[in-house]
Amino acid sequence: MVVSLRRAVITGIGALTPLGINGPSFHQALIEGKSGVRGITSFDASGLPIRFGGCIPDFDAKNYVDKKDRKALRVMAKTIQLAVSGAQCAINDSKVDKEKLDRTRFGVIFGAGLIASELNELADAAVVSSSGDPIKVDLDVWGHKGLEVIQPLWMLKYLPNMLACQVSILHDAQGPNNSITQSDVASILALGETYRLLCRDRGDFFLSGGAESRINILSMTRHSLFEELSSNNEHPEKACRPFDKNRDGMVIGEGTGVFAVEELEHAKSRGAKIYAEILGFGAAFDQKKDGSGVARAIQAAMNESGIDVSDIDHVNAHGLGCKISDRIEAQGIRSALPKTPEVIAIKSAIGNLGAAGGLVELVASLEAFQTGVVPGTLNYENIDPDCPVPVLRAPRELKKNCVLKVSMCQTGQCGAVVIRRWI
Amino acid sequence: MRRRIVITGMGVVTPLGSTITEMFQNLIAGKSGIGAITRFNAKNFPTTFAAEIKNFDLAKHVKDASPWNNCGVNSRFAAAAAQQALENSGLLDNTKIDRTRFGVYLGSGEGIQDFNNMISMIARAYNSETRSLDCVKFAGEGLKHFHGGHEAEQELHTTPAHLAQYFCLEGPNFNCLTACAASSQAIGEALEIIRHGDADIMLTGGSHSMIHPFGVTGFNLLTALSTFKGDPTKSSKPFDLNRDGFVLGEGSGMLVIEELEHAKKRGAKIHAELTGYCSTADAFRVTDSHPEGRGAIACIAGAIKDSGVAIEEIGYINAHGTSTQVNDRVETLGIKKVFGDRAYKTPVSSIKSMMGHLIAAAGAVELITCIEAMRTGILPPTTNYETPDPECDLDYIPNKAREHKTKNCLSNSFGFGGQNTSLVVSAFNN
Repeated sequence: MVVSLRRAVITGIGALTPLGINGPSFHQALIEGKSGVRGITSFDASGLPIRFGGCIPDFDAKNYVDKKDRKALRVMAKTIQLAVSGAQCAINDSKVDKEKLDRTRFGVIFGAGLIASELNELADAAVVSSSGDPIKVDLDVWGHKGLEVIQPLWMLKYLPNMLACQVSILHDAQGPNNSITQSDVASILALGETYRLLCRDRGDFFLSGGAESRINILSMTRHSLFEELSSNNEHPEKACRPFDKNRDGMVIGEGTGVFAVEELEHAKSRGAKIYAEILGFGAAFDQKKDGSGVARAIQAAMNESGIDVSDIDHVNAHGLGCKISDRIEAQGIRSALPKTPEVIAIKSAIGNLGAAGGLVELVASLEAFQTGVVPGTLNYENIDPDCPVPVLRAPRELKKNCVLKVSMCQTGQCGAVVIRRWI
Repeated sequence: MRRRIVITGMGVVTPLGSTITEMFQNLIAGKSGIGAITRFNAKNFPTTFAAEIKNFDLAKHVKDASPWNNCGVNSRFAAAAAQQALENSGLLDNTKIDRTRFGVYLGSGEGIQDFNNMISMIARAYNSETRSLDCVKFAGEGLKHFHGGHEAEQELHTTPAHLAQYFCLEGPNFNCLTACAASSQAIGEALEIIRHGDADIMLTGGSHSMIHPFGVTGFNLLTALSTFKGDPTKSSKPFDLNRDGFVLGEGSGMLVIEELEHAKKRGAKIHAELTGYCSTADAFRVTDSHPEGRGAIACIAGAIKDSGVAIEEIGYINAHGTSTQVNDRVETLGIKKVFGDRAYKTPVSSIKSMMGHLIAAAGAVELITCIEAMRTGILPPTTNYETPDPECDLDYIPNKAREHKTKNCLSNSFGFGGQNTSLVVSAFNN
């Protein structure tokens, strides 16, 4: 293992979540036991089997970006708008003077997912080239008349690398730039890669994050065909039940989480407020679907961090709320850490934010470092012997200074990060 | 002492062949893989041609093709190229290695979208009078007509998961999709994962096809594709004055990269050493490269510095060379800025002149081409080079392959949004 003398600290948080904007209000709502899972109102979802999600009400990117940059929002899908808004919030919170940053050592690493087209933008082209018969499109017409009625920059609005690219353009960040497209584990892998880049001296200041919005008609229709989604339309706030015996699937959410990650001396020299230090990172693939991959990611992060399990205040779990995923995760955590610390699952309150999830969830722990209060897990009512981890139900005082974050996706990719409160 | 990383396995699926030997023979013969699009009816699109892979049958490549039944060609090409690379490395069913130290980092693209279904459903659900989509109607149609299994495979994390699952690769698993720089960036970050000690072996590379109606629509709207009216095989003209855009290709390139001592211990055949990597951002515009090539310059210089190879020892540059006006001019400028006078003495070529642009997969196939060029001592040409451009005045190995021994090559990949990645690969010297 390469040992670096450089240390990575988190000096800024930007978060747009179904439960509030930025760290303090998000954390406060979690402590109060509120839920951001609610009926969908941004479009008519009544034709869908699942009609609720972790929605951000009234998101308007214009409220976040510089006035001079508002024009650029027109070529950004909502997911990308969330990313640039979150990035601006993280920059603001870090109080960094951008003019003083070495732009070639300013990097942007984001997690991203598949971005759904806004169907209205294709409607004119669709109408002109399809008679309406199922599966019949006249490509002779589409290729000619259809193309004429689609916006020229249409595709750029939906490319997954545009989260990180648009952020780099808005902030003149010319350093390393990457877009990790690994579903629900994307933003934790992005944070891990940021940590590696920083320690190997490829940059001093990074915006590391993730954003995703699947609360739209196309994504919700598609996902309801292949995901295990909770069908609790009557009580959306009860729908996401991580590790609970009666869990019945995940809840789709939307949002963004972005951190300013900075080299320690760089942060100190400008007198930055430091939330936490990143101490370790691990990644693995759970090929056997038995939690062994989760366990290896955790062990790698723990080994690198040099901390003992007794230093961990809580495990900030993936806690998806699906039958198999939660079982695999719990068994992985248990096998890596037999003296298992208490586990919290933030998805219980906001749903699964996809490529944004890992970092948004970690905000809860970073704010626990600030306030001394750890949020609990909603809807954990019935213990499941298949999920042998102690789940923290109600908020409690922070007792220790380290947190382990676990993220995974159902196809097997796993990531884990260890952070320590900065004192 | 930094860990040294070597390449011990390679595999390709390209419009010019689905073995490395076949592909490289075709490249040095100057053959073109470009022709009329057959995958869908493109005859009324501004661009009607691409470099397609013909007669691909995954069952001929892997023992059991069934895990890929619902996948698009992106994942299927990846499976075939990965199988070759693993066989080539001697690691396919090797039970002596620790699979938990064997990871995956791909730059792999999206699955194929269900164009016909989606567009006809939009047409049915759209109310032209109110100019709005009836979401209830769309949902009803979608739930009935979309195929759940196919929809799941469109997601961007499925290809690396399939490979890890099928080939039992339990180490770190990543996918980046940084447009045309994706597989180069994946290879670079895979290199760093091994250097750091997070794994000993990585399967890395990329896979992509955008030869589908949405892909051609998107690139045509951006006016990025060639709309050449003559013989399609002459359409991709990197560095030529009359170049008018890139040509879509498709395929996959996969490499097995491995920590040197690990490779030696098991007596692996070493194809080359991966010595340098850098990635930067232009941070300029989503559509255009920075006009003075600031990101490209920093990236090329950074990769060479990382490799420890002197500029004069770089004997070949495999250019990004897309055949767009801006890329080829800015890339030339970038090479000249970094190489100084040496730029004119360093042969540069773009194999996109022959196989088009494999988008996310391009960088991996081009790096493999560099390794073959070093092994054989033959550099592939830039074909269709007829009219010099005063702004592109380097030695582009015009039209004919060249015998030229070299021990170090640079491979560039630049993407939409200002993504730049460069890699340096060197002949292995113990």
